[in-house]
Amino acid sequence: MKSNLTIPYSSQTGSMEIASRADCPKRQFSPLGLLSLFGVELLKIRRSKIFWILLIPAVMMWLPSALNADVNFVIDAYDISPDYNFFIQGYMGMAWFMLPATLVICNVLLHQTESAHRGLLKCLSLPVSTAKMCLAKFLVTVLLTAVQLFFSIASYYGAAALASRLYKYDFLLPPAYVCRSAALIYLAALPMAAVFWMVSVLIRTPVFSVGLGLASIVPSVLMLNTKFWCWYPMDYPFYMLMTEYGRIAPEVYDANVQLFPLLPVSIGVTLLCLAIACLRYSHEEKL
Amino acid sequence: MNSTNIIETENLTKSYGDFTAVSHLNLHIRKGSVYGFLGPNGAGKSTTMKMFLGLTSPTSGRFQIDGKSYPRNRTAILKDIGSFIEAPSFYGNLTGEENLEIIRRILGLPKTAVADALELVGLTQYKKRLTKKYSLGMKQRLGLAGALIGHPPILILDEPTNGLDPVGIHEIRTLVRSLPEKYDCTVLVSSHLLPEVELMADDIGILNHGRLLFEGTLAELESSARSAGLPTYNLEETFLAMIDADNQKGGGRI
Amino acid sequence: MMTTANTLTLSTLETRKLKRTGYVPAFLGGGLLAAMVPVLNMAVRREIYVSQSGSPFHILMDANWQLMAQLNIFLLVCGACILYHTEYADNGIQRAETLPMKASGLFLGKLCILFCSCLLPLCLETFSLLACCTRYFPKTPGLGAVMLKGMAFELALLLPTAAAMLFLSSLCRNMWMCLGTGVILVFLTSMLRSGNLVLAAVPFAAPYRMLHQFTAGQAGRLLLLSMGEVALFCIIEWIYTKLRRCFQ
Repeated sequence: MKSNLTIPYSSQTGSMEIASRADCPKRQFSPLGLLSLFGVELLKIRRSKIFWILLIPAVMMWLPSALNADVNFVIDAYDISPDYNFFIQGYMGMAWFMLPATLVICNVLLHQTESAHRGLLKCLSLPVSTAKMCLAKFLVTVLLTAVQLFFSIASYYGAAALASRLYKYDFLLPPAYVCRSAALIYLAALPMAAVFWMVSVLIRTPVFSVGLGLASIVPSVLMLNTKFWCWYPMDYPFYMLMTEYGRIAPEVYDANVQLFPLLPVSIGVTLLCLAIACLRYSHEEKL
Repeated sequence: MNSTNIIETENLTKSYGDFTAVSHLNLHIRKGSVYGFLGPNGAGKSTTMKMFLGLTSPTSGRFQIDGKSYPRNRTAILKDIGSFIEAPSFYGNLTGEENLEIIRRILGLPKTAVADALELVGLTQYKKRLTKKYSLGMKQRLGLAGALIGHPPILILDEPTNGLDPVGIHEIRTLVRSLPEKYDCTVLVSSHLLPEVELMADDIGILNHGRLLFEGTLAELESSARSAGLPTYNLEETFLAMIDADNQKGGGRI
Repeated sequence: MMTTANTLTLSTLETRKLKRTGYVPAFLGGGLLAAMVPVLNMAVRREIYVSQSGSPFHILMDANWQLMAQLNIFLLVCGACILYHTEYADNGIQRAETLPMKASGLFLGKLCILFCSCLLPLCLETFSLLACCTRYFPKTPGLGAVMLKGMAFELALLLPTAAAMLFLSSLCRNMWMCLGTGVILVFLTSMLRSGNLVLAAVPFAAPYRMLHQFTAGQAGRLLLLSMGEVALFCIIEWIYTKLRRCFQ
């Protein structure tokens, strides 16, 4: 229905002087690369207290281990030295629970930083690809995972030094071994990070995304005992640690990493999750 | 597209289920002008502006901005637009300066752009303060700084004077009025207050229930209102009578 | 009597605030997930369990309860976070605090809801365990009574965790902060599984315990300790609300 009051626009060949287009000051613009966007995303989490979320669990996890390090002297069926036992048992908690749980919480925090004062809406009205923005944010979670593993290595050495002093036994393992094991756990955690990132993009109600994330962690040990484990990315870090365990105590676990079908499946899962996340990122804001 | 118009829409429509927020809208915004987009709350002003920014997709119809269309030229359109939609959007954990730094980096502007924008809206002395500690007026100014940074050729401002005190309103109004001359840009500014638009705009478009009731200059509004038998002694009265007449005619939601 | 009636009224009001927050679906989904644990475990590894001697309920609890309890604890962590997030997200708590009602009433109302919510996953889990018992094990006399007693014990042991987590949520305006703290506590307390009775009653660790692990006397003392903890958290919250008003 057209209003009677609408005036045809022909009357608007105005008297106002309009500058020609060529005179307009042009903004020099070239689309931002992924790394530059990653820098922007890092700037966004300044003062977000995310540092404490990464540091506190790493320290709190190792402190009880150091205080109770004497349990490693109890000789069990497997001929494993107390220093290796101390390291493996500590990292089990990290790989099974703390690392995935931190990833879940960090993802919520990253989304909350965007949504709290509608910062994302501003970014969406800027000339930047939403898919690239999504990938840059995922890179932030990848970096945060690396930072947490760095903290865990530092905490391990702190705890091992404390345990050595308390129980007069050298719990310190060579840095090359510790860093190699942590790096393997880190690489194995990347597909899981992609899954959690996709879940947090798809499920915007924080409680559901957190709930699903945390709930998926709980059965990972159970899943590792089934033949479907390689389809469950939450198992990968724990699996890597168990193969490491297998190197020290062959009776416990197979020391050989079964790269097939693990490698193609993990790459496929990672790419699929990232593709879905990129497609659906900021979908709710655009409704 | 008429070459003098920088923004044109053709039957632009946006529906959410059976609710039509914007219905067959045909806007013509001249290059270098201040276009006042007027309408009561919920008339569809923000939805239209969101469509221009790609924040929501049209259900039907199309629009062109400087000859470019969405979604094909999304990035090209957005690089030319500075925007401020609904309420200020910012990161509360960052300072005012850091918030603008994010926008500067994405737009690839020189480092001086941040200081320029802060100066323009009078926030220089508060640039190091966390934005979550800003007052409503300061947040509003920060939002404007984010729109004005780098002097974009097109500005889309959704109720930019909300939450400002009378002095602030006057400052922003004067600023908006001076922008086309100063930076050779086009401004689309929305408001639900006719007196405010009257002081800023060259052309106005009146929207009610998602439909365009009028488009033209203020003089044309007055003459068309007179011919329609509506009061013209005060433009605010004209606007209210026009909205009322439309509501009476059953111009409710479609 | 009056206090009970007031708490019930407050709980009714509090349930209205939970509309569209995903609270009920979260408990339903979480409960279903926890209920799936014994079903899946039996589907995959039934031969390990059916060959064991003893009460089928105890066998199934020993095999699955650690995972199920952890899911229940996570549900309480998330549930408590939602309950206070609705207050803090859009500053609704300011409105609540300006109404003529006791500040501690808000906590009690929410606590009542959280207690009742525990019933939903526990019922689903009971049905699932019952189904596994009847499907995979020979008929056992008195199974129903053993199950009911066992699950009622688990419900009682969940209550201190609910109270502790709710208190934590009332402290933190940012949901991710109480969520993060809750998750860290879940992890740390999971290391306290062995030890004396006092350690067994620590919130976040208590839900892992099972009735058949204790003598009747120990179980009674554990229940008393749990009720004491709930009362303690209510008192701490009451003190906290008083102090908050002074420093706001």
